[in-house]
Amino acid sequence: MTIIGKVTYHTSRLVLAGVFIYAGVIKANDIQGFAGQVANYQLLPYAWNYLVAATLPYLELLCGILLLLNMRVRPALLVLFVLNLVFILVLFSASIRGFDIDCGCFKPDAEQPTEPLTALWRDLGLAVLMIVTWLLRRLQVPKEND
Amino acid sequence: MNSWVNNPAVRRIVLEAVILFVLASSVGLVLNFKLIFNAFSGQAFSDASVVDTMSKVLTQKTDLFPFPVALDELDGFISEGALLIDSRSEADYRLGHLPGALSLPIADLESGLANFKQQVPFERILITYCSGYGCPDSFDLGARLLKEGYQEVMVYEGGYPEWRDAGRPVEKSQQ
Repeated sequence: MTIIGKVTYHTSRLVLAGVFIYAGVIKANDIQGFAGQVANYQLLPYAWNYLVAATLPYLELLCGILLLLNMRVRPALLVLFVLNLVFILVLFSASIRGFDIDCGCFKPDAEQPTEPLTALWRDLGLAVLMIVTWLLRRLQVPKEND
Repeated sequence: MNSWVNNPAVRRIVLEAVILFVLASSVGLVLNFKLIFNAFSGQAFSDASVVDTMSKVLTQKTDLFPFPVALDELDGFISEGALLIDSRSEADYRLGHLPGALSLPIADLESGLANFKQQVPFERILITYCSGYGCPDSFDLGARLLKEGYQEVMVYEGGYPEWRDAGRPVEKSQQ
Protein backbone atom coordinates (compact mmCIF):
# COMPACT_ATOMS: atom_id res chain seq x y z
CA MET A 1 0.00 0.00 0.00
CA THR A 2 1.24 3.48 -0.79
CA ILE A 3 2.23 5.95 1.90
CA ILE A 4 -0.91 7.96 1.16
CA GLY A 5 -3.00 4.84 1.65
CA LYS A 6 -1.31 4.11 4.97
CA VAL A 7 -1.73 7.67 6.22
CA THR A 8 -5.40 7.67 5.15
CA TYR A 9 -6.00 4.30 6.83
CA HIS A 10 -4.43 5.26 10.14
CA THR A 11 -6.05 8.70 10.15
CA SER A 12 -9.54 7.35 9.54
CA ARG A 13 -8.99 4.53 12.06
CA LEU A 14 -7.87 6.99 14.74
CA VAL A 15 -10.69 9.42 13.99
CA LEU A 16 -13.24 6.61 14.37
CA ALA A 17 -11.51 5.39 17.54
CA GLY A 18 -11.62 8.88 19.04
CA VAL A 19 -15.27 9.43 18.17
CA PHE A 20 -16.48 6.13 19.61
CA ILE A 21 -14.27 6.12 22.70
CA TYR A 22 -15.47 9.64 23.49
CA ALA A 23 -19.11 8.71 22.85
CA GLY A 24 -18.81 5.55 24.94
CA VAL A 25 -17.12 7.19 27.92
CA ILE A 26 -19.52 10.15 28.00
CA LYS A 27 -22.59 7.92 27.86
CA ALA A 28 -21.26 5.28 30.28
CA ASN A 29 -20.77 8.10 32.76
CA ASP A 30 -24.48 8.95 32.75
CA ILE A 31 -26.47 5.82 31.96
CA GLN A 32 -29.73 7.24 33.34
CA GLY A 33 -29.42 10.41 31.29
CA PHE A 34 -28.71 8.37 28.19
CA ALA A 35 -31.73 6.16 28.95
CA GLY A 36 -33.81 9.33 28.93
CA GLN A 37 -32.53 10.23 25.50
CA VAL A 38 -33.22 6.75 24.16
CA ALA A 39 -36.74 7.08 25.59
CA ASN A 40 -37.20 10.37 23.73
CA TYR A 41 -37.27 8.42 20.46
CA GLN A 42 -40.35 6.53 21.70
CA LEU A 43 -39.39 3.32 19.97
CA LEU A 44 -38.90 0.95 22.89
CA PRO A 45 -40.92 -0.09 25.92
CA TYR A 46 -40.01 1.76 29.12
CA ALA A 47 -37.52 -0.68 30.66
CA TRP A 48 -35.83 -1.53 27.36
CA ASN A 49 -34.52 2.03 27.16
CA TYR A 50 -32.40 1.21 30.20
CA LEU A 51 -31.17 -2.04 28.68
CA VAL A 52 -29.97 -0.23 25.55
CA ALA A 53 -28.46 2.61 27.60
CA ALA A 54 -26.61 0.16 29.85
CA THR A 55 -25.00 -1.84 27.03
CA LEU A 56 -24.49 0.45 24.04
CA PRO A 57 -21.78 2.70 25.54
CA TYR A 58 -19.58 -0.32 26.35
CA LEU A 59 -19.96 -1.60 22.82
CA GLU A 60 -18.82 1.75 21.43
CA LEU A 61 -16.00 1.89 23.95
CA LEU A 62 -14.67 -1.62 23.27
CA CYS A 63 -14.77 -1.20 19.49
CA GLY A 64 -13.15 2.23 19.79
CA ILE A 65 -10.31 0.79 21.89
CA LEU A 66 -9.73 -2.01 19.37
CA LEU A 67 -9.55 0.55 16.56
CA LEU A 68 -7.12 2.62 18.60
CA LEU A 69 -4.92 -0.43 19.22
CA ASN A 70 -5.20 -1.47 15.56
CA MET A 71 -6.41 -4.90 16.68
CA ARG A 72 -9.44 -6.83 15.37
CA VAL A 73 -10.16 -3.82 13.22
CA ARG A 74 -12.59 -5.44 10.80
CA PRO A 75 -14.76 -7.12 13.46
CA ALA A 76 -14.85 -3.82 15.39
CA LEU A 77 -15.73 -1.94 12.19
CA LEU A 78 -18.47 -4.45 11.41
CA VAL A 79 -20.06 -3.95 14.84
CA LEU A 80 -19.80 -0.16 14.57
CA PHE A 81 -21.15 -0.18 11.01
CA VAL A 82 -24.22 -2.19 12.05
CA LEU A 83 -24.69 0.11 15.07
CA ASN A 84 -24.33 3.12 12.81
CA LEU A 85 -26.97 1.75 10.44
CA VAL A 86 -29.33 1.35 13.40
CA PHE A 87 -28.56 4.94 14.49
CA ILE A 88 -29.27 6.19 10.96
CA LEU A 89 -32.62 4.39 10.83
CA VAL A 90 -33.60 5.68 14.28
CA LEU A 91 -32.56 9.24 13.45
CA PHE A 92 -34.39 9.07 10.13
CA SER A 93 -37.49 7.87 11.95
CA ALA A 94 -37.21 10.76 14.44
CA SER A 95 -36.79 13.24 11.60
CA ILE A 96 -39.83 12.09 9.65
CA ARG A 97 -41.90 12.09 12.85
CA GLY A 98 -40.83 15.71 13.37
CA PHE A 99 -39.26 15.15 16.79
CA ASP A 100 -37.41 18.17 18.14
CA ILE A 101 -35.08 16.19 20.41
CA ASP A 102 -31.39 15.94 21.12
CA CYS A 103 -29.92 13.02 19.20
CA GLY A 104 -28.29 11.51 22.29
CA CYS A 105 -25.14 10.82 20.30
CA PHE A 106 -22.72 12.12 22.90
CA LYS A 107 -23.28 14.01 26.14
CA PRO A 108 -26.74 13.21 27.57
CA ASP A 109 -27.28 16.69 29.07
CA ALA A 110 -25.61 18.69 26.32
CA GLU A 111 -26.21 22.43 26.51
CA GLN A 112 -26.39 22.64 22.73
CA PRO A 113 -28.54 19.73 21.56
CA THR A 114 -27.88 18.15 18.16
CA GLU A 115 -30.98 17.77 16.02
CA PRO A 116 -31.67 14.31 14.56
CA LEU A 117 -31.18 15.54 10.98
CA THR A 118 -27.72 16.96 11.78
CA ALA A 119 -26.78 13.73 13.54
CA LEU A 120 -28.07 11.77 10.55
CA TRP A 121 -25.62 13.50 8.22
CA ARG A 122 -22.81 12.96 10.72
CA ASP A 123 -23.60 9.25 10.94
CA LEU A 124 -23.62 8.98 7.16
CA GLY A 125 -20.15 10.55 7.17
CA LEU A 126 -18.99 8.05 9.80
CA ALA A 127 -20.38 5.20 7.69
CA VAL A 128 -18.30 6.39 4.72
CA LEU A 129 -15.23 6.62 6.96
CA MET A 130 -15.84 3.06 8.17
CA ILE A 131 -16.07 1.74 4.61
CA VAL A 132 -12.84 3.54 3.67
CA THR A 133 -11.07 2.11 6.74
CA TRP A 134 -12.38 -1.40 5.97
CA LEU A 135 -11.20 -1.27 2.36
CA LEU A 136 -7.77 0.11 3.25
CA ARG A 137 -7.41 -2.50 5.99
CA ARG A 138 -8.07 -5.19 3.40
CA LEU A 139 -5.24 -3.84 1.27
CA GLN A 140 -2.91 -3.56 4.24
CA VAL A 141 -3.49 -6.88 6.00
CA PRO A 142 -4.28 -10.30 4.51
CA LYS A 143 -7.79 -11.53 5.37
CA GLU A 144 -6.61 -14.47 7.42
CA ASN A 145 -4.69 -12.12 9.72
CA ASP A 146 -7.39 -9.46 9.92
CA MET B 1 -23.58 -14.03 -2.16
CA ASN B 2 -23.02 -17.72 -1.46
CA SER B 3 -19.26 -17.28 -1.81
CA TRP B 4 -19.37 -14.57 0.88
CA VAL B 5 -21.21 -16.82 3.30
CA ASN B 6 -18.82 -19.71 2.69
CA ASN B 7 -15.70 -17.57 2.85
CA PRO B 8 -13.84 -18.58 6.07
CA ALA B 9 -12.33 -15.10 6.49
CA VAL B 10 -15.74 -13.42 6.31
CA ARG B 11 -17.23 -15.98 8.68
CA ARG B 12 -14.40 -15.38 11.14
CA ILE B 13 -14.91 -11.61 11.04
CA VAL B 14 -18.65 -12.04 11.64
CA LEU B 15 -18.00 -14.49 14.49
CA GLU B 16 -15.52 -12.13 16.12
CA ALA B 17 -17.99 -9.26 15.73
CA VAL B 18 -20.65 -11.33 17.49
CA ILE B 19 -18.17 -12.14 20.28
CA LEU B 20 -17.37 -8.43 20.63
CA PHE B 21 -21.06 -7.64 20.85
CA VAL B 22 -21.69 -10.28 23.51
CA LEU B 23 -18.60 -9.31 25.49
CA ALA B 24 -19.33 -5.58 25.57
CA SER B 25 -23.02 -6.11 26.29
CA SER B 26 -22.14 -8.45 29.15
CA VAL B 27 -19.84 -5.86 30.67
CA GLY B 28 -22.64 -3.28 30.46
CA LEU B 29 -25.18 -5.67 31.96
CA VAL B 30 -22.89 -6.63 34.85
CA LEU B 31 -21.88 -3.04 35.64
CA ASN B 32 -25.48 -1.81 35.49
CA PHE B 33 -27.24 -4.89 36.80
CA LYS B 34 -29.08 -3.09 39.59
CA LEU B 35 -30.37 -0.33 37.33
CA ILE B 36 -31.64 -2.80 34.72
CA PHE B 37 -33.19 -5.01 37.37
CA ASN B 38 -34.98 -1.99 38.83
CA ALA B 39 -36.15 -0.89 35.40
CA PHE B 40 -37.68 -4.26 34.56
CA SER B 41 -39.25 -4.54 38.00
CA GLY B 42 -40.81 -1.11 37.60
CA GLN B 43 -38.52 0.85 39.89
CA ALA B 44 -36.15 2.55 37.50
CA PHE B 45 -35.65 5.60 39.63
CA SER B 46 -32.98 7.98 38.56
CA ASP B 47 -30.35 7.84 41.22
CA ALA B 48 -30.96 4.84 43.38
CA SER B 49 -28.66 5.76 46.25
CA VAL B 50 -29.85 9.35 46.55
CA VAL B 51 -33.52 8.56 46.20
CA ASP B 52 -33.32 5.61 48.54
CA THR B 53 -31.63 7.67 51.22
CA MET B 54 -33.96 10.63 50.79
CA SER B 55 -37.08 8.53 50.75
CA LYS B 56 -36.00 6.75 53.91
CA VAL B 57 -35.54 10.12 55.58
CA LEU B 58 -38.86 11.41 54.29
CA THR B 59 -40.98 8.36 54.87
CA GLN B 60 -39.09 6.33 57.44
CA LYS B 61 -40.33 3.37 55.42
CA THR B 62 -38.71 1.77 52.41
CA ASP B 63 -41.81 -0.07 51.17
CA LEU B 64 -43.64 3.15 50.33
CA PHE B 65 -42.33 3.85 46.91
CA PRO B 66 -44.23 5.37 44.01
CA PHE B 67 -44.52 3.20 40.92
CA PRO B 68 -43.01 4.60 37.68
CA VAL B 69 -45.22 5.08 34.61
CA ALA B 70 -44.11 5.66 31.04
CA LEU B 71 -45.28 8.34 28.60
CA ASP B 72 -47.56 5.98 26.67
CA GLU B 73 -49.29 4.93 29.91
CA LEU B 74 -50.00 8.49 31.03
CA ASP B 75 -53.00 9.09 28.77
CA GLY B 76 -54.89 6.18 30.30
CA PHE B 77 -54.32 7.41 33.85
CA ILE B 78 -55.19 11.01 32.91
CA SER B 79 -58.47 9.87 31.37
CA GLU B 80 -59.19 8.04 34.63
CA GLY B 81 -58.88 11.36 36.42
CA ALA B 82 -55.28 11.24 37.62
CA LEU B 83 -53.85 14.50 38.88
CA LEU B 84 -50.44 15.49 37.55
CA ILE B 85 -48.17 17.15 40.10
CA ASP B 86 -45.14 19.19 39.10
CA SER B 87 -42.41 18.90 41.75
CA ARG B 88 -40.06 21.39 40.10
CA SER B 89 -39.65 24.98 41.22
CA GLU B 90 -42.50 27.43 40.63
CA ALA B 91 -40.31 29.33 38.19
CA ASP B 92 -39.85 26.21 36.07
CA TYR B 93 -43.56 25.48 36.35
CA ARG B 94 -44.45 28.94 35.06
CA LEU B 95 -42.14 28.51 32.05
CA GLY B 96 -43.96 25.34 31.02
CA HIS B 97 -45.74 22.36 32.51
CA LEU B 98 -47.96 19.44 31.59
CA PRO B 99 -51.58 20.51 30.95
CA GLY B 100 -53.64 20.59 34.12
CA ALA B 101 -50.67 19.89 36.37
CA LEU B 102 -50.60 21.30 39.88
CA SER B 103 -47.39 22.86 41.20
CA LEU B 104 -46.04 21.39 44.44
CA PRO B 105 -42.31 22.17 44.52
CA ILE B 106 -40.31 19.76 46.61
CA ALA B 107 -38.39 22.72 48.05
CA ASP B 108 -41.61 24.26 49.43
CA LEU B 109 -43.23 21.00 50.44
CA GLU B 110 -43.80 21.74 54.11
CA SER B 111 -45.63 24.98 53.41
CA GLY B 112 -47.56 23.66 50.41
CA LEU B 113 -48.63 20.27 51.69
CA ALA B 114 -51.37 21.37 54.07
CA ASN B 115 -53.14 23.32 51.35
CA PHE B 116 -52.63 20.46 48.89
CA LYS B 117 -54.25 17.95 51.28
CA GLN B 118 -57.26 20.21 51.67
CA GLN B 119 -57.70 20.49 47.91
CA VAL B 120 -56.98 16.94 46.79
CA PRO B 121 -58.91 13.91 48.10
CA PHE B 122 -56.82 10.97 49.31
CA GLU B 123 -58.38 8.51 46.90
CA ARG B 124 -57.36 10.48 43.81
CA ILE B 125 -54.68 8.99 41.55
CA LEU B 126 -51.57 11.18 41.68
CA ILE B 127 -48.71 11.27 39.18
CA THR B 128 -45.65 13.30 40.08
CA TYR B 129 -43.00 14.46 37.66
CA CYS B 130 -39.97 16.74 37.53
CA SER B 131 -37.13 17.40 35.07
CA GLY B 132 -36.93 13.91 33.64
CA TYR B 133 -34.37 11.16 33.94
CA GLY B 134 -31.77 12.05 36.53
CA CYS B 135 -34.17 14.10 38.65
CA PRO B 136 -35.12 12.49 42.00
CA ASP B 137 -37.63 15.14 43.18
CA SER B 138 -40.68 13.41 41.72
CA PHE B 139 -39.81 10.19 43.57
CA ASP B 140 -39.25 12.01 46.83
CA LEU B 141 -42.53 13.87 46.47
CA GLY B 142 -44.33 10.65 45.55
CA ALA B 143 -42.89 8.84 48.57
CA ARG B 144 -43.97 11.69 50.84
CA LEU B 145 -47.51 11.75 49.41
CA LEU B 146 -47.80 8.00 50.01
CA LYS B 147 -46.70 8.55 53.57
CA GLU B 148 -49.30 11.29 53.96
CA GLY B 149 -52.00 8.75 53.14
CA TYR B 150 -52.58 9.02 49.39
CA GLN B 151 -53.42 5.58 48.04
CA GLU B 152 -52.26 5.65 44.43
CA VAL B 153 -49.15 7.66 43.69
CA MET B 154 -47.04 7.14 40.61
CA VAL B 155 -44.07 8.85 39.04
CA TYR B 156 -43.72 9.89 35.43
CA GLU B 157 -39.96 9.61 35.22
CA GLY B 158 -39.54 11.08 31.73
CA GLY B 159 -40.97 14.27 33.20
CA TYR B 160 -41.45 17.60 31.51
CA PRO B 161 -38.55 17.23 29.00
CA GLU B 162 -39.79 13.93 27.60
CA TRP B 163 -43.38 15.20 27.40
CA ARG B 164 -42.30 18.42 25.62
CA ASP B 165 -39.89 16.63 23.28
CA ALA B 166 -42.60 14.17 22.32
CA GLY B 167 -44.51 17.12 20.86
CA ARG B 168 -47.23 17.02 23.52
CA PRO B 169 -49.00 20.30 24.40
CA VAL B 170 -47.58 22.28 27.30
CA GLU B 171 -49.12 25.05 29.37
CA LYS B 172 -47.38 28.24 30.36
CA SER B 173 -49.35 29.85 33.10
CA GLN B 174 -49.32 31.48 36.50
CA GLN B 175 -50.39 29.58 39.57
